[in-house]
Formats: sequence, structure tokens, C-alpha cells
Amino acid sequence: PPASAGRAPVPPDGGWGWMVVFGAFVSIGFAYAFPKGLAIFFKEIQDFFGTSYSEVAWISSIMLATTYGAGPISSILVNRYGSRPVVMFGGLLCGVGMISAAFCTSILQLYICVGFITGFGLALNLQPSVIIIGKYFLKRRPIANGLAMAGSPVMLCTLAPLNQFLFDNFGWRGSFLILGAILLNCCVAGALFRPIGAATASVKPQVTEEGKDALKEKISEDAMEMNSPTNVPMENKTEEEEEEEGKDCCEKVNQYLDLSLFKHRGFLIYLVGNVLMFLGFFAPIVFLAPYAKHTGIDEYSAAFLLSILAIVDMVARPATGIIANSKWVRPRIQYFFSFSIAFNGTCHLLCPLASSYTGLVVYSSFYGLAFGMVCAMLFETLMDLVGAARFTSAVGLVTIAECCTILLGPPIGGKLIDTFGDYKYMFIKCGAVMVLAGTFLFIMNYYNYRMLAKEEKERKTKEEDLKSVRTENEGRNNWNKDTTQVGSELEPLREEQGVKKEMNGT
Amino acid sequence: GTDATTQGLKQPSKESLSNGPFVQSEILLPGASGAPLERTITLANATTVELSCKLDTNSPLKNPQVTWKKGNETISHTSKTENSWSIQLEIVDSSKLGSYSCILKGEEEISATFHLQVPDVEGRGRHVITYERDTAVMLCKSDSAPMAWTWYMISGSKQIAINASSKGDKYLIVRQSAGVTQLRILKLTKEDAGVYFCQATFELGKVKLEVELKVLSIMAPLKPFLAVVAEVLILLTTIVLYEVYSKRKEKRTGEKAFDQIEQL
Repeated sequence: PPASAGRAPVPPDGGWGWMVVFGAFVSIGFAYAFPKGLAIFFKEIQDFFGTSYSEVAWISSIMLATTYGAGPISSILVNRYGSRPVVMFGGLLCGVGMISAAFCTSILQLYICVGFITGFGLALNLQPSVIIIGKYFLKRRPIANGLAMAGSPVMLCTLAPLNQFLFDNFGWRGSFLILGAILLNCCVAGALFRPIGAATASVKPQVTEEGKDALKEKISEDAMEMNSPTNVPMENKTEEEEEEEGKDCCEKVNQYLDLSLFKHRGFLIYLVGNVLMFLGFFAPIVFLAPYAKHTGIDEYSAAFLLSILAIVDMVARPATGIIANSKWVRPRIQYFFSFSIAFNGTCHLLCPLASSYTGLVVYSSFYGLAFGMVCAMLFETLMDLVGAARFTSAVGLVTIAECCTILLGPPIGGKLIDTFGDYKYMFIKCGAVMVLAGTFLFIMNYYNYRMLAKEEKERKTKEEDLKSVRTENEGRNNWNKDTTQVGSELEPLREEQGVKKEMNGT
Repeated sequence: GTDATTQGLKQPSKESLSNGPFVQSEILLPGASGAPLERTITLANATTVELSCKLDTNSPLKNPQVTWKKGNETISHTSKTENSWSIQLEIVDSSKLGSYSCILKGEEEISATFHLQVPDVEGRGRHVITYERDTAVMLCKSDSAPMAWTWYMISGSKQIAINASSKGDKYLIVRQSAGVTQLRILKLTKEDAGVYFCQATFELGKVKLEVELKVLSIMAPLKPFLAVVAEVLILLTTIVLYEVYSKRKEKRTGEKAFDQIEQL
């Protein structure tokens, strides 16, 4: 994992951080659980507007697509304004969306109010919550991530019966109105996200005083401080030089959304692995209850399977956070992540063997465990690879890439079920995809760890030689080492210093 | 529950009154352990039905005496093949529906029952909750298409049929498909609340399903809504106030430390 240099602001790893974790718990919980909880209202809406079920299901799809697709916009806004205003605005947007949905008179209006507006509000909730955990925690970050991500199953277990209760008492319109008010609680969660860190604290006043140039310098400085040694310093130096020639649109975007991440080896590995994984991640949950009913289990027992999954998930996430934080796992967290993905895949591959209800209960428990493990570490591993400063942009880029496969996963699974008339091919496909993703990540991260270790070694030797150069310059010529060796390593160092001089000159 | 009865082109062994639909159902005795020796057959139209009880060759019962009964009434026209006994029924009206059993008497007595019923009517739920000036939608559906659907409203002790043609701007009855009917009530008022039921008319009888319509005013959800909004505002103010307070405390301790340093 990239080392944070001495000058970086040390994350508190506690104190107010736990309030932030609670806020993130609520915010992430709503973002993931709310779209799933809406399914209860769909039948009634379908009858009311006289549409087909698939047209109503589009509401969920639009919402999911907007929540993931608006990731980069969320990242840009967080880079510009910080987490707190973005989450509060997102909460407000969600509330407004659902309140206006209560008064809708056509399915198209529902697409807009529930799908786009609320979906966008949830996007503005999800990313900043994950980002701010990276700012408040370093040593205990896996635990914080695990706890915050546990919000999703907890909220789902709360929302499902709550939605049913609201629906039984107020119909769908009244329920949407009250849910709009409940979503305003995301604003409360956002209010807990106190801005932190010398980065944001020192940047803010200077933006008003000195203008954008100073802002750029500060950002590049902080990026150099807090972060992976390889790519960023050189990147920002070339940026500063090109500034002379005038900014164009791409440069501006790059300032707010770090597109240089696409050259980052760890980021690319994560991106490819995760995009692949999401093809098989959600489909089994969607089809678990129908599969159970297909094997002859009654509706309530089938619903109970999902409850088992949620409960195991709830416990698994913080537990995984604690395990991932231990000193044996933390340095090798990427392996742990790859293992949990492959474990998840193996569960799906073994599912067709479970024919009885007990078998399915066992499957649901293991699936809940694996699901929780993967989700708890989903963002932790990304933070681990790119570092807290670039994480803001990274998470936006990752979510928009995942958007496509997330939306494709269940329909492809459904197609397989319809074509073969058997659920087992869907499980096999999901299992195979995830085992493949897990293996890919395992191998590539092994390679990445080796490269990082090599680069770290090179950096250490460079630092030592820089020290030795200084002592040489100070203490004159009592130096009987291999001057040639020292000299050859000094060349790139001198070049760097030269560029630095240029930069300071402008 | 209902089983998959075979609708075959098999010619009945006896004369049949009509060349209409024919349904055949067979129960194997004694059957798998735990398997219920009952079957439900839903009939929408007048049908010729052949019910058979077949004896498993592994069964210890040999050459039993078989009687077919409906309730306490014995049925005489039975037919027998090697190991199965059957009766053929002309179901033309609702009186012919009911439970028919075959009883096999030997060293032990085992029996199987066939329940002949009209199809079930299902709805979306027992209550439908709507608001004033909104539209109410009530749904009834059945697997077999009835000849007609009618909607009634229960007012007091009277059942009033809903005539959609005469009050076209208030009621709308939509037959979405053969097996689905929908009653839409427009421009709801409090007086529209109450119990409604849909009635499916089959050749062999009528089935009804009750739905209760509740009409709420906008005030009903508004109270919890305002309560939650109030909770949000209270929490927000608490958090902001706490933050201002702790910042001031930090400043004060910072100033104190500064003073102490100055004194030194």
C-alpha cells in the first residue's frame, strides 16, 4: 500500500470519525437498500397506471443506472466542494424526488421523479460517504469501511417491513410522501461529515483569496504528499508546465476528475476485475426467491432465505472489516479480496447441488457471508490501491464502469433461465464469472505487489543516495565508495532537481 | 392443491351427452407415503369428467371391493379395468360439483377423494387504499375465463350492482383480458369508501371476492410526514449547534494554551 509521507495530515482514526461512520452507515444504507425496497409498491403501481410489469421494473433500473452512472459527477462535486455539502444536497434531492413522486399522474413522471431525481440524489449520497471514510481513517480504515457498508443490509431489513407497513396503511402515494421525508435523514447523515484534513482546511480560504492558481498548486502538493509515489509527481509537473500554453477543457476536467488514474496500474487491475465480477454479483440475489419457489418451496420460506442472507451479511461486513484490519491481512488485503470473490463464485457453482430446503438455507448463509465479505472490502481495496487523495476520482470512474455490467447481470441471467428453462445455468455462469474475476485479481495483484515492492526499493535507494550526496557535499571528499554507481543513480535525480528549478522559476 | 389434469382426446368408454370438453384424472393408491390421496379439479364449463382410482400392483390389497361415493350417496355406474376403477360424470350444473371418493375395501380400507370445484378468483389484496379526488383501481382475476364479471358495492345490507355505462364518468369497468377485470372509480369521495366485490359467473356457478376500499384525505399521511421532517430539522440543528460549541471550545483552549506560552 502506498505510504503517506511525513507532511500529510494524520487521519484521526477515531473520535468524531465514529460519528462519520454512523452517518456513512445511514447514507450508504439508503443508497443501496432503497431501490430494492421499492419493489413492494410495483404491483400496485402497475395496476394503477395500467402498464406491464417490465415497464414498472424500469423504475428500478433507471434508479440503479443513475445512482451508478452519476458517480463521476459526484466525484467532481466532492473534489470541488467536499463531502458534506454534496451529501446534504443529495439528501434534499432524494426527498424532493420522492415527494413529487407521490403526486405523479403517469408512469413517465415516475421514471423522472423516482428514477432520475431520487437516483441522482442517492448517487450524491453514496460516493461522498465512502470518500470521507478515507479521510477520517487510515489505521482502522478496514473496520470503518466494514461498519459503514453494513448499513446496506441493516437498512434493507428495516425498509422492507417498513415499506409493507406504509403500503398497507397509506397506499403507494402516501408511502412515497412519507419515504420522501425519511430520505431527508440523509441530510442529517451529511451534516455529520465535518470537513477534515489540512488539505481541505488550507485550500478553502486560499481559493477565495488567491484564486485558482494557488488552488492548483495546493492540490498538486497534497497529491504528492498523501500518495503513491510513482505517477503523481511527474504528472503534476507536466501539468504546471502546460499551464503556460493555456488550459483547455480536458485540463479543467482533469483537475476535478483525475483521469490520469487510467495510467495507474493498481486502478486498472481493480477496474477490470470488478467490472468482470459485477456480471455475476447481483443476479443470484434477484433469482434466489424465484428459484426457491421453482423447486417447490412456498413463498414465505423463500422470502426467509433472503432474510437469512441479509442477517449473515449484516454480521459478515463488520467482521470482515476487523479481520481485514489485522496485521496479518492488512498488508495483503488484495489477496483477501480476491479470495472472497472466488469463494462467492464457488458458492454459486455449488448451488445447483442443493436440492432440498436445508441445502438452500446453507447456500443462503454462505452466500450472505461471501456477499458481505466482498462488499465490506469493495471500497477499502480501491482506497488501498490508489490512496485517499485520488480515491475521490477513482470511485467515480469505477462506478460508471460498473454501471453497465451491474445492469446487464440480472437480464443476462434471466435470459439464460428463459432459454434453458433451468436455473442452474444462471448459477454456473455467475459462479464461473466470479471465480474468473477472483483468480484474475489474485494473479494481477501478486504482480502488482511485486512491482510496488520493487519501486519502493528503488525509491529507498534513491533517498539514501540523496542523503549520501548531501553528506558528500558537506563533508568534502572522504568518500571511497563506488563513485560510478552513485553517479549513475544521481543522473535522474539531477534531472528531477533541474525540472523543479524550472517550476519554481515560473 | 390443484393438479395437472389431462385433457385428452380419449374417447369415453360410455356414451357422453356432449362432444364438449373432457377431463380425466387418476389417483394411484396407496400412493407415496405422505402423499395426500386428494385432488382438486377446477371446472369452468360443463364438462365430462372421468375419475379413476388405480391400485398399485405392489400393494398388499388384492381384489378389493370398490365403492364410489359423493357424500353419503353411492354412485352406481362404475366401470372397471384390470386394476383401476372409474366413474364418468356429466358436470352440467353446480349441483354436480363436490367431493367424490373411491373407497377400496379389503383387509384394509383406503380411499381417495376428488374435489370438483369452480375456479378460484384472486385479487391483489384485502384492502385498497386511495385518496380523495384520486382514482381507485380494484382487480379480480381468475385462471379460467368466466362468462361474465360483475361488480357490486355493499351499502348497508344491500348489494348494488355497479353500472358503468350509466355512470361513465365515475365508474369504469375494464376487462383487461378474459380472466382479468378491473374496476376503476374516478374522482373519489369519502362516500365511495366501503366493501366492494367482484363476481365471476361461470357455467357451473358464481364466485365472488370482496375488496375493501378505504378513502383517505391528504391529512392522513401528512401527519407522519411532518413528524419525520420535524425530526430531521431537530437533528440538524443539534448537530450544527454542537459543532459551533465544540469549535468555540477549541478556540478557547487554543487561546489558553497561547496565553500560557506567553506567560512562560
